[in-house]
Amino acid sequence: MKITFPFMGPTLIYAKLLELLGHEIVMPNKPTKKTIDLGVKYSPEFACFPFKVLMGTYLEMMDKGIDTIVTSGGHGPCRAGYYGELHKKILSSLGYDLDFIVFDEPKRDYKRFFQQIYRLKNDSSWYRVARIVYTVYKMSKSIDKIEKIVSSRRAYISNKSLLNRTWRDILKDYSRIKTVKEVNEVEKNALKKINRFKYQLPEEEERIRIGVVGEIYVVMEPSVNNNIEEIINSFGAEVERSQYLSQYIDETLLPFKGNEVKEIFKKAEDYIEIIIGGHAKQSMGHIVDYKDRGFDGVVHLKPFGCLPELISQSILDKISTDLDMPILSLSIDEQTAQANVMTRIEAFIDFIKYQKASKKERMVVNE
Amino acid sequence: MVIEGKGMNYMKIGIPRSLLYYYYYPFWQSLFPKLGCQIVLSDTTNTDILDIGVKDTISEICVPIKVYVGHVLNLLEKGVDYIYIPRLVSIRKGVTLCPKFLGLPDLIKNSLPGISDKVLTHKINSNTDDISDYKNYSDFTKIFDISKSELKAALRTAGKDWLKFRDLQKKGYKTEMLLEGKKEMREDGDLNIGLLGYVYNMYEKFINMDLISRLEEMGARVSTFDMFEEEMISDFVSRLRKPMFWEFTNKLMAVGYHFINSPAIDGIIHVTAFGCGPDSILGPFLEIDAEQNKKPFMTLRIDEQTGESHLLTRIEAFIDLLRIHKRREAL
Repeated sequence: MKITFPFMGPTLIYAKLLELLGHEIVMPNKPTKKTIDLGVKYSPEFACFPFKVLMGTYLEMMDKGIDTIVTSGGHGPCRAGYYGELHKKILSSLGYDLDFIVFDEPKRDYKRFFQQIYRLKNDSSWYRVARIVYTVYKMSKSIDKIEKIVSSRRAYISNKSLLNRTWRDILKDYSRIKTVKEVNEVEKNALKKINRFKYQLPEEEERIRIGVVGEIYVVMEPSVNNNIEEIINSFGAEVERSQYLSQYIDETLLPFKGNEVKEIFKKAEDYIEIIIGGHAKQSMGHIVDYKDRGFDGVVHLKPFGCLPELISQSILDKISTDLDMPILSLSIDEQTAQANVMTRIEAFIDFIKYQKASKKERMVVNE
Repeated sequence: MVIEGKGMNYMKIGIPRSLLYYYYYPFWQSLFPKLGCQIVLSDTTNTDILDIGVKDTISEICVPIKVYVGHVLNLLEKGVDYIYIPRLVSIRKGVTLCPKFLGLPDLIKNSLPGISDKVLTHKINSNTDDISDYKNYSDFTKIFDISKSELKAALRTAGKDWLKFRDLQKKGYKTEMLLEGKKEMREDGDLNIGLLGYVYNMYEKFINMDLISRLEEMGARVSTFDMFEEEMISDFVSRLRKPMFWEFTNKLMAVGYHFINSPAIDGIIHVTAFGCGPDSILGPFLEIDAEQNKKPFMTLRIDEQTGESHLLTRIEAFIDLLRIHKRREAL
């Protein structure tokens, strides 16, 4: 079995999991313009953008002898849950017959779920599988922890390109991990490397904090969202996104870790009553949450035509007025250009700076 | 159009003539007068409705939603007490509708100013297409100040009336006529066209340039998904390992495959709205399998800018092609 998987966020987590289970994996390429063009060509016109990117990613790897694709599924109402089926259909109409291992919610079909686990488990003992899963989980937690530090400090570090290079090196260190013990070592090392960068944290009221919310794929995958976090950082603002892989694992696989999510859902109640698919309701909740935590603005990302996020986008004006919080909504698709994103982010952050300054002035006058 | 309730001073309920109006109106038409309400329908879709709808929605959203918003604003102008916007979550166990239906009341309440206290909404979670189950309407007793038993009786009758409408659809009466209270059979023709599309795309004459009548004028007999028995669809869905997540898409898929495999059908037209998400997933399945089964298949995309001549040319070409096809086969 030669396996590959979609490219999203810290890909090395899935790679690690499959590698430790003893599979031969082929790392998917980071999506480029070429990948996207290829995907667009063979996808339905109104399929959402992530579908097209994945289509391109798969097609680019067809000459590498892959016979199995592992991906996540779902049961809607967001379209992402049906990607696997449709990708398979389109690939087979192009003459590529591949096996898809799609992980749906186990409760819908336990038998199938365990059959799939069994296929991936290989010859490893259950004890070994448990240990591997634990290692990978710890690893994702640790990576996300470091990334959060990087994307808040990057705003104030002058040599940003060196920092980015260091961050990529750190990820390489993570990819060499084999046991839980090593996770701690790599993390300690990573912190040391990052702490070497000198930075001056401005006064509390001078700090600009931006939250990024929206559809999970475009929020998590920098090569698709034009490195939005780095762009925001480059204009001197800190950034935090609403989705991290470890958090996604907590939410979907570990029911007892759900308190934080419940809190977010509660905050969304006034705007979207029920779960309408994807992360639309969470997006609303996170916007309210960012306001509560004193953030200065929110960037809302969604792939062009995303069903649930179109509802949330329709509500953004209202939520922005209600909370007195600037929100910039960006629709990402094959035609999104880096320069466009940069210009809009720059204008957005300038606006926030101006607003902050005038607020401060007003306060001084009042005193 | 105003339909009289029991008396003069009754609550006026606005129903947008859009989206699932084309499927559930007979139900609402029977229900609301029994709750002591007067039904006010929005005007049939026209340029004004479309324009205000387009203006007040984000550009990326699908046309049916834009049209719907236009109708809601039209009702607001008419001065109704409430606008009925149900949150249709599900009409089959474990399957929902498109996310836009799930979030429709949220979208209307939070994107149109001055409307939130006029929206009458409740969740509909049903296991079947028949949405008359009392549990979805328990709030109505308070809103309309009627007793539980009265409400239950009204729902039962409305459910029956709706089933009568469905029966007539299945017998081949024109849906667009039935909704206006008239009975007229579908035109017969020398060609059998399977028309696939959601009710709000097939019967929205203003947006689709009166597609069905055009086809009938050209001598086609049109079959639509609502002419089929629910059992046929349920049967198909139960055989799928993973059904589609959206019930109306499931219906189209079931009927679509029926068309593909049916020798009686000469060609299939899939009419879909610009930006329709579920159709973007359904389309390739039908397209690929129609091609493999040598069944002529055409996708017609409609939006607020659809030109009449463009649409006509395409239908004409398709019909001509089917006739040539048929003649050749007969030889």
